[in-house]
Amino acid sequence: MFQTEGFWKSIILFLLALIVIYFILNVTVFKKLQNKTKAKSILLNISVVLGLLFLFFKLYTLIPDVINPPELYAQNIVNRTLYICVLALATTAIVLVFKTSNTANFAQGSIAEFGAFVAAKLIIYFVATYTNMGNTVMVLLAVLGGALVAFLISVCVDVFIIRNSKMPSVVGKQMITMGLVLVFAGSIPLIFGSIPMSIPKMLYGDNINFNLFGLDLYITQNALLALILTVVVLGTLFAALKLTKWGLGVRATASSETVASMMGVNTKVITALSWGIAGLIGGMAAVFWAPNTSSVGVGLMTSTQVNGFMAAILGGFGSFIGPLVASFIIPVLTGLLSFVVLGWENAVVYGIILVIVLFKPLGLFGKQVAKKV
Amino acid sequence: MIYQNKMSADRKAKFSAIKHHPYFGFVIITFLMLIVQLLRVSGLDIPVALLRAFGYTMIYIIIALGFSVLLGYGGMASLGTAGFVGIGTYVVGYFTNQHEMSIFLIIIITILGAIIIGAIVGFISLRIEGMYLAIITLGLSEILNEVFKNATTITNGTNGLSLDGIVLFNDAIQVNHNTIFIAIAVIMLFMMIITLNLMKSPTGRALLAMRNSQSAAQALGVSIFKYRLLAFITSTVYALLGGVMYMTYIGFSIPSSWSLAFSLNILAAVIVGGAQSIYGIVLGTFMIFGLNLAVLQQIPLFVQNPAISVVFNGLLIIAVIMFYPGGLIRLIGSIGHQIKLKTQQWKKKRRAYIYGDDPE
Repeated sequence: MFQTEGFWKSIILFLLALIVIYFILNVTVFKKLQNKTKAKSILLNISVVLGLLFLFFKLYTLIPDVINPPELYAQNIVNRTLYICVLALATTAIVLVFKTSNTANFAQGSIAEFGAFVAAKLIIYFVATYTNMGNTVMVLLAVLGGALVAFLISVCVDVFIIRNSKMPSVVGKQMITMGLVLVFAGSIPLIFGSIPMSIPKMLYGDNINFNLFGLDLYITQNALLALILTVVVLGTLFAALKLTKWGLGVRATASSETVASMMGVNTKVITALSWGIAGLIGGMAAVFWAPNTSSVGVGLMTSTQVNGFMAAILGGFGSFIGPLVASFIIPVLTGLLSFVVLGWENAVVYGIILVIVLFKPLGLFGKQVAKKV
Repeated sequence: MIYQNKMSADRKAKFSAIKHHPYFGFVIITFLMLIVQLLRVSGLDIPVALLRAFGYTMIYIIIALGFSVLLGYGGMASLGTAGFVGIGTYVVGYFTNQHEMSIFLIIIITILGAIIIGAIVGFISLRIEGMYLAIITLGLSEILNEVFKNATTITNGTNGLSLDGIVLFNDAIQVNHNTIFIAIAVIMLFMMIITLNLMKSPTGRALLAMRNSQSAAQALGVSIFKYRLLAFITSTVYALLGGVMYMTYIGFSIPSSWSLAFSLNILAAVIVGGAQSIYGIVLGTFMIFGLNLAVLQQIPLFVQNPAISVVFNGLLIIAVIMFYPGGLIRLIGSIGHQIKLKTQQWKKKRRAYIYGDDPE
């Protein structure tokens, strides 16, 4: 039905052409330039952006023309709104912890799952006690409860475990979070029992139709509310990072923890708060995502966790905006690829990320940090 | 009389030489592993689960040995182990079931494939470092997992692939677990010896230099390119061989086994035991996999609540990294040293008490 072979051929040819052009320019032009590295990086950026645009364009031409193709294309992007929100929250949480503690937090998803379980328990409690409580209010309260529990757990992890560990190396800290994954995976069934619980959606109303550039699209109310909440939370977070003293502290700690503590920044409080906020937004993401599965389970956030790492790598751990852009690109690409190569879309997306990261090791938006020998 | 004395002294010296030989410990470990199997063969009623637990542990020891070359000596954390082990299992399954190839030929194919895969990952590792490398290899493992799930003609998809029987020379024979157990034990012994020789060779020292400081190693003439590639190739070869042994021993492979959890457990085994010591790796693998499979699953409390053993594993990892970053083997070593010191002091005091010497 679709010309899959032609698709791959053209993609590979395009990428090869980009690489050849890059090397030709490298040999002929850049050797004579004064500011070599800057020109090189600009060229690399241009080729990566061109490659991504070409990929999107090629996918666009491959959409079956049963319905109006541009509409289907746009609708597919809109359909992924909820997952984009979840991934953006999870990725931001990972990056926030990375900035302050210099470790990849593997337990992020598990802590979020714990929050989701608490939220599910809260919903059972609300349903039993307050019969006339609205669905939306109930779920929002549950989101708050789950997020707060995740906040507390994250702070405890930092204060009691990460801070007290002896000479933690980078791999060591990572290993502690991996151990936490096991602890949570084991303790969740022990604490919450094995009876399946579920979290309802926030809103069950009709789809909202809207018109964008002449295309008739629709979005579910639940996804829209999740989008609004995500924008509000992430907007507040980024504003806080830019404007408040805590944000300044985070940025100072990110550049160098020792120097920051010498300059009077209370790095312990900053780190604990960052862990807590990461847990908070992770918990929110888990409760948003939970209705998509039949029951809240231990593996709820695993794929989101992996995708979050991938988004952080693609965008670059160094910046906050990069991972956000990446967490938009990944779900949309996955959704579009499912039209072309059903079942292989994750593998293809990860492969694309691998290729991009090979050429830009610090991610799309990462900046080179000078390292002392 | 003199002759006899000389002979006994010779015997003592010989025994001491054997006891202090670097391979002595490995032989003892292999022998301890084999005891269970030998008892089973001799007719004692040993539960199959216990036997399988030892088999699993030995396979995981081989995989962890390769990983320790990468982590303890190369200083690179990879989370792609699960994918590589999975490749090993499917290579055996595919070539045996559909082409009836000899197992020896398959092992050669596997090693060649592992060298190619390791070289590719090594090239990737030249550009990417530290945590980024761990996450990129995690992505690689996820890609491999998707391939296992979707390439149904080779891997039979999510239903899992079972091995019909292995081919030794010409025709297929049914898998005899007892024989394969012994074969795995022998291979484990060989792998330990090879790893020890690798660790104590100039290659191992170059890897160690690279781990401690890349720039300093480069300044002293250690080629980062060569040794990174070598570390990755070694670890990939071990992982794929582990996969081959897993498939021949268990006879069943399913994509969900080769997920992130498996890589994390291997990493945990290496870290908990001590990444630079072979005994440490054996101990760590036993703590993470063997204890759970062999001991805890025989106790009713843990059989009813399998979650408790998972929590126990997690707490163990956290405690070891928090308080003993060098691994359990270093803890045991330091305890042994303390005991030695204490006994020496006690002996000195006692001698002073008996003979009236000055204790200082």
